[in-house]
Amino acid sequence: MTNAQGSVTGKRVLVVEDDYFIAKALARSLRAGGADVLGPVATVADAMDLIDTEPLDGAVLDINLRDGDLVFPVADALTERAVPFIFASGYSSGAIPERYAGIVRCVKPVEADAFRALFSPAP
Amino acid sequence: MLRREKALGDFGEFAQRSDDLNKVLTQACRLVAEVLGTGQAKVLEIEEGGTSLFVRAGVGWNPDIVGKVRLPLDEHSSENFAIKAGKPVIMEDLRQEQRFDVPAYMKEAGVQALANVPIFLPGHRTYGLLQVDATEPRDFGDEDTEFLRTYTTILGPVIDRLLNLQVMNRAEERFRHIVEGTRDYAIFLTDAEDRITDWLPGAEAVYGFTVAEALGQPAAILFTPEDREQNAPQIEVETARLEGAAPNVRWHVRKGGGRVFIDGAVSALYDADGVVRGFLKIGQDVTARRRSEAALRESEARHRLLIGSWAQAVWEVDANGVVVADSPSWRAYTGQTVEEWLGNGWFDAIHPDERAYAERQWREAIAARGFVDAEFRVRAPDGSWRWTNVRAAPVLDATGRIEKWVGMNIDISARKRAEWALIHSEGQLRDLVEGVSQLVWRAIDGSDWIWASPQWTAFTGQSEVDSHDRGWLEPVHPDDRPIALAAWDKAGVAGGFEVEYRIRNAATGTYRWFQTRAAPRRDARGEVVEWLGTSTDVHQLKALQQSQAVMVAELQHRTRNLIAVVRGIADDTMEQTGPTEAFRLALGNRLSALSRVQGLLSRAEVEPVTLAAVVHLELDALGAGASGDRVRVAGPDVWLRNSTVQTLALALHELATNARKYGALSHDRGQLAVTWSEHHQAGERRLMLEWIETGLEHAPQRTQPVPDGSGYGRELIEQALPHALGARTTYRLTETGVRCTIDLPSRPDPHEGETP
Repeated sequence: MTNAQGSVTGKRVLVVEDDYFIAKALARSLRAGGADVLGPVATVADAMDLIDTEPLDGAVLDINLRDGDLVFPVADALTERAVPFIFASGYSSGAIPERYAGIVRCVKPVEADAFRALFSPAP
Repeated sequence: MLRREKALGDFGEFAQRSDDLNKVLTQACRLVAEVLGTGQAKVLEIEEGGTSLFVRAGVGWNPDIVGKVRLPLDEHSSENFAIKAGKPVIMEDLRQEQRFDVPAYMKEAGVQALANVPIFLPGHRTYGLLQVDATEPRDFGDEDTEFLRTYTTILGPVIDRLLNLQVMNRAEERFRHIVEGTRDYAIFLTDAEDRITDWLPGAEAVYGFTVAEALGQPAAILFTPEDREQNAPQIEVETARLEGAAPNVRWHVRKGGGRVFIDGAVSALYDADGVVRGFLKIGQDVTARRRSEAALRESEARHRLLIGSWAQAVWEVDANGVVVADSPSWRAYTGQTVEEWLGNGWFDAIHPDERAYAERQWREAIAARGFVDAEFRVRAPDGSWRWTNVRAAPVLDATGRIEKWVGMNIDISARKRAEWALIHSEGQLRDLVEGVSQLVWRAIDGSDWIWASPQWTAFTGQSEVDSHDRGWLEPVHPDDRPIALAAWDKAGVAGGFEVEYRIRNAATGTYRWFQTRAAPRRDARGEVVEWLGTSTDVHQLKALQQSQAVMVAELQHRTRNLIAVVRGIADDTMEQTGPTEAFRLALGNRLSALSRVQGLLSRAEVEPVTLAAVVHLELDALGAGASGDRVRVAGPDVWLRNSTVQTLALALHELATNARKYGALSHDRGQLAVTWSEHHQAGERRLMLEWIETGLEHAPQRTQPVPDGSGYGRELIEQALPHALGARTTYRLTETGVRCTIDLPSRPDPHEGETP
């Protein structure tokens, strides 16, 4: 399921996803790859708490969160800390600001292989 | 005595020499005053009507009396008595006089005595009185009286002759005045051979020849060559000779060859023996009238022709509008009989709705003596109605009074139909143009507007005039103006255009999107006359299109999430059951629950999902809805956020499934109460749902502890709802059954859209 290059093994990965089932599936998938999952959390506030308090290697971010929140403050905080992340969204296009053009975007349901992009150089 | 006879002789001689009545009468007074030695005498003439006397002549009287004074022929006067009695009346002394009243002027003149002697004309006609006045009382003796009677007897015939002469003189003078003064009548005399012997001024004026030129000429020179050729002059004179007179109505020739139309006659003049000695010719120059009559006849003919081709009916009525003459054309036009038409029957042919109007028009025309020009309906012979234009004009007589009215009817049914059709179609078009929601306008020469509909003004606040030419650009969004003008550039070649731009709404101050279309209107040759355009508000349409795009994206999002959820659930289920038949059943039920709630969500945009709907959905799926008293579902109408529905439905599905398998719905004595209420917390609207199962202690086969199957329900309550929905939940398993509370945000307003 994983190989040396881009492996999530041993990485501390934050999951931000408001849907319980999807969050749980993402977490399960990451754990299966050997990652250490932080969260999942469903709100920007909870995500910011973890970013501020926990060391992170990467993150998987849903875009539309609970109560209509958008995940972008979280993305900006991660960019600031040089923590790699990918988007996981139900939307196929649009709704993502220009500044995230270089960020990998996965369409749900996210395949486990998609996590490799987190820790590989951009293609 | 001799003096008296001499006086009579002198007077007769004087009277024969003089034709002047006044002089003769004055002389008569002088002679009588001398003979009687009174120094005063006068002649009083009875004036016409016989009620007054006029001091015609007198001597010894002031000039302000003679020829001036008139006195009434008073009943109590001596004058009156003398006239009535026909004999002299003597008053010897006025101071003693008691029989008669004496006129004031006489008393003032100091008259003391007088003699009144009536003067008779031949045939016993009374002319007046000879009155001899004396300033001393005096006895007019028999001799004096006899003299006066003789004197007046001579005086009567003298006066009579002079009066007749006076009348003749006046008549002659009048005749001369008429004959010589008139210039309209040509009068001249000819001898028996019809040569001109007398040529009066009127003849000179009419014919142009002077007296010298005319005298001795044959009258035939005044006839036209054509008439001379026909021997008209001779025939006319011979007719007059035989019959006494002959008409002379024909064109004559003036000096210089001009023509003049004479309406006159020739009369024969006879000598004492009855032999014709000449002819009197009198004629009036009626050339002008003749010409105007000819013109009138011509214009009448022309009018008849005109009227015949125009009017359907021609008629005449009297001054009051009453019909007295038949009009065959009216009868043909209306189908009325003569009897119906005569009098005021024509009113019956007018449409009842317009009779009052027609009558008023008539009355006003008669009052104003003006023309009638009215339009109304009259009955046609077939009983239908047709529109007619009535025109009538008054014919005035010589004194300016209305003699009669002449009128005609012009049928205007076709014109009226055309007018109505036009009005109708114009009205329809206007209604259409002004009734549609579009802003309508007309333009020429490309983009120059010439008209904008009221809707344009209402929407933009720009006046119709201000929109003209390129004024319409002003309300157009500045960013869109180039687009709007560019559309016109291609309109001519493309034969129209369709473009979308924003127009400012004056009421809200905001811009709305309009789709503007223009199409050319062409003349018969295909040239573009003008452009007709409409601008349709597509703002809402555009908004709908945008929201539709959002909805499609949302659907996509939801579907993809759903698959992810399904995968997660499948994984969870297998973890729980292992790859077994139990896995297949449990997964199947959970996917069914997921499917059911999609049904609710698919309509959520239109019909917001209520909590009751979700609860019933899951209970009904298990057949628990029909469990009667054992299941109680109660709560107010509460709407759920769309993001809440799916997770909550899955949680309720697990609760219901557990209740069916192991809890209150698994045996006859179990009871389930699902109740909820709304509350507010920190300004947030929330709902509190309680799921309470009781009667577990009565279950025939109590299974303790609750099997693993309930674990997933508990997980969803305790973990999934807080995670996904921010819910506060409790889940307890007691001796009597499951007690569960879910406190989560609800949807404030079911009709307010929710951000996905």
